[in-house]
Amino acid sequence: MPEFLSDPIKKQLQEAFLNLQNPVEIVFFGSEKNCDYCTETKQLLEEVTVLSDHLGLTVYDLEKNSIEAKQYKIDKAPGFNIMAKVGLDLVDYGIRFYGIPSGHEFTSLINDLVLVSGRDAHLDPMTVSYLKGLTKPIHLQVFTTPT
Amino acid sequence: MALESPLVEADMVEAMEFPELANRYQVSGVPHTDINDGEGNVVGAVPEDYLLEEIKRAMGEPFITNDEG
Repeated sequence: MPEFLSDPIKKQLQEAFLNLQNPVEIVFFGSEKNCDYCTETKQLLEEVTVLSDHLGLTVYDLEKNSIEAKQYKIDKAPGFNIMAKVGLDLVDYGIRFYGIPSGHEFTSLINDLVLVSGRDAHLDPMTVSYLKGLTKPIHLQVFTTPT
Repeated sequence: MALESPLVEADMVEAMEFPELANRYQVSGVPHTDINDGEGNVVGAVPEDYLLEEIKRAMGEPFITNDEG
């Protein structure tokens, strides 16, 4: 398969990734069953993560690695968890992508990598204060389309 | 938001690849943000404070009443 990222885009990403402060690990789950974009998503993530020493990629299979899928809370493929890497440990912030991150979602992916690396979401102090005081869980599902 | 609280989980879902899920939440326009499995939703790329208000509403705040039913 030809590469998704052109050389100018790679260069642009490398510049953006100069802002990465701490290691980030993408934990990806593909599937051999009925998965239209697993191969493409995995390749795209490979092309992105190779651009910085701060980025890593772990690849699992949703069915064959069901224990890990449970551990990283991935229930669909292609799906991946953007985790902070602290020493040898991975910290789950609850940020997951399902489906190929193309179009606007590619920008969201890159932004999330930078935010997780900085461990800071740059939110309004009011929002942060509300979130710190939460006593019940919030599950957000953001639906998007490739265009 | 997920980054700021261990109680927040955020999934980005490509609607075309997961049509059953998109149908379940009646996604017609994107981005469509579902809050707690149908408790609330926001359509469009809205400002942060707007999303926060909708989350509070979906969480039962600040309109907490004891006279339901």
